[in-house]
Amino acid sequence: MTAAAMTPTTTAPGRSSSRHLLALRGLPAKDLRSLLASARDAADTPPVVPGGLTIATLFFEDSTRTRTSFTLAAQRCGLHCVDLSAVTSSVNKGETLIDTALTVEAMGVQALIVRARQSGAAALIAQRVRIPVLNAGDGRHEHPTQGLLDAMTLAKAFDRLDTFDFRGVHVAIVGDIVSSRVARSAIAAFTTLGARVTCVGPASMAPASLASLGVEVSPRLDAVVDQADAVMMLRIQFERHAAGEPGKAPTLASVREYRAFYALTTERAARMKDHAIVLHPGPMNRGIEIDAEVADAARSRVLAQVANGVPVRMAALAWCLGRV
Amino acid sequence: MSTLLIRGGRVIDPASSTDATLDLAIRDDRIEAIGKGLSSARVDRVIDAAGKLVVPGLIDPHVHLREPGHEHKETIASGTQAAVVGGFTSVCCMPNTAPALDAPELIRFVYDAAARTGACRVFPVAAATKGRKGEELAEIELLAQAGAVAISDDGDCIPTAGVMARVFGAVARTGLVFMQHCQDPTLTRGASMHAGEISVRLGLTGWPREAEEIIIERDVRLARASGCRYHVQHISSAGSVEIVRKARAAGARITAEASPHHLILTHEACEHYNTSAKVNPPLREASDRDAIRAGVADGTITVLATDHAPHADFEKSLPFEEAPMGLLGLESALPLYAEALVHTGLIGWPRLIAMLTLEPARLCGLDAKGLGVLRAGGIADVTILDPDAAWTLDAGALKSRSRNTPFAGRSLRGRATATIVGGVVRHAL
Repeated sequence: MTAAAMTPTTTAPGRSSSRHLLALRGLPAKDLRSLLASARDAADTPPVVPGGLTIATLFFEDSTRTRTSFTLAAQRCGLHCVDLSAVTSSVNKGETLIDTALTVEAMGVQALIVRARQSGAAALIAQRVRIPVLNAGDGRHEHPTQGLLDAMTLAKAFDRLDTFDFRGVHVAIVGDIVSSRVARSAIAAFTTLGARVTCVGPASMAPASLASLGVEVSPRLDAVVDQADAVMMLRIQFERHAAGEPGKAPTLASVREYRAFYALTTERAARMKDHAIVLHPGPMNRGIEIDAEVADAARSRVLAQVANGVPVRMAALAWCLGRV
Repeated sequence: MSTLLIRGGRVIDPASSTDATLDLAIRDDRIEAIGKGLSSARVDRVIDAAGKLVVPGLIDPHVHLREPGHEHKETIASGTQAAVVGGFTSVCCMPNTAPALDAPELIRFVYDAAARTGACRVFPVAAATKGRKGEELAEIELLAQAGAVAISDDGDCIPTAGVMARVFGAVARTGLVFMQHCQDPTLTRGASMHAGEISVRLGLTGWPREAEEIIIERDVRLARASGCRYHVQHISSAGSVEIVRKARAAGARITAEASPHHLILTHEACEHYNTSAKVNPPLREASDRDAIRAGVADGTITVLATDHAPHADFEKSLPFEEAPMGLLGLESALPLYAEALVHTGLIGWPRLIAMLTLEPARLCGLDAKGLGVLRAGGIADVTILDPDAAWTLDAGALKSRSRNTPFAGRSLRGRATATIVGGVVRHAL
């Protein structure tokens, strides 16, 4: 397995014009813009994909919204889509993960949409199959279509649909950045397109080492909330951070301490710039990282994010499967 | 009776400070003579060693032979085949087998299996605690009596100061060295690579340098109190090198070993979730690699050890965080040591040979068994090296049962052309 075979956009060997979508980091701005432009136009003009193809969603980890969004996107592109999320319960070893992917490929599908709990899992499968692999979330690494739909939401909110140039836009990403594949993909897309990004969170979730991703790191939401044009709140992943799990030290002392410094409360949201928007990848913990009033306020783009997911995934499928 | 003459090589014997073009005659399992113009009359076999180095058989004090319990990765037979191809005539095998080498019967099993199937000498290192769990002491004095050459829970660190102090006390009685795998487990839970820019980007939990350094600092104090000899395995961070340097300057009985991969690679080798570069302790940054090389150059690090750690393809094909740690060492070690240390001008061949023979022999008490030296009348463990041989590592041609090396396809310079164990030629190109 060569290094080249693992790069994010490598051509999948099965079809000359097909390729994987494994990560947004490393993807050049022109590719991001081309994907986003294709997604922008998808509502009126579905992207052209080779006819009669069948793709499979191969989900080794629970997800309803991402899988449904991909399924709808596939249907709207005229693709057949089979769902293999039932593997969740029985598969947790990597070799089985590869075997499962090879088995599904052998049945004759033309692309795999992969979700797994291990960082690098989509790249691992992409090394072994001859069809395009779309990463639908791999551990704490990336969730590229989520990053693209976040970029699309920003572009719509700040009128950048012609250029997808985010210079002058300041985005705060708040919460558990270190464990978040959503944050990694968003950071890659936003910074590549020119945005300024500030990560905010407790030391265990937003360590200074994040600066190597090309972002600023701030210890206090209060210092950033009135500076940002967009505030992206991440879900607290209690399953990772709460106390009581054997062998794992809790990294969160309490919800009240977290809320005191890092939640987007009604009071903090009142200090945001007039035009500033609120993002959240969902599912939200209302009343914990985000107050219900904020989640439902006019500045919230949470449902717009979900809506943008379908055309973004149509564009991603077309990009990976290549043109006829 | 068999006789062998190695003619015209550059004979390097660090113990006697020999470095000259000489002949070396072997009769049965002993070196008969070392000198100029030895006669080849009535010799069974003559090896022309012109342009080559003739040195004591190399000793690797840190390998994993996986037997008993993990024979799908390696066996004493396959691992010692790999050893002799790499120029090694003695290896010290670590106790993280299944069961762990924590009882004298198991030490005897290793000696018996090696005598039956081994291509080179094998010396077992015994576990310090029962089951290598870091809790109850193993029968350290019985293990020493059965022939263990060192004590270690390698693969795991003795986590608490309380148990460590008791282990040091018991090991000090035996005169053996305690070898520590320096890793504070509370700082490395779930960690799979160096904590740095790349782990952040890949979404992998990082293994910080401090987890190694604070264990060495703790152990230096505890070992001093007990009088136990203490050895740092596979040193990985610049800070650790500095701690060892200061402790040695202060007179502590502390040694450290460097591994080929830590002398050559950095965490960049883990890019693209390359599991063949997943190793414990992890590959770190260029500044750490350079500090380890500098530690060799100034004598802070005196021992070289491969930490040869075979794993099957299906295991290394797991996602990065689930794949086991470790990589092969024995068959590629010599040219990698030379690349990092000799070709860079940091040390010469005589010092490199000392670090591969005399120093590990002293560490594990093998000098008292007559190993690690070339002398007339002594044991005929001899390695012949071509320091300039250019070759490419072909993973498919390895003698090891496993293939997990990040060096496959690498252009190398220097290799063993003959390995003689007890007068028997076990490897010859």
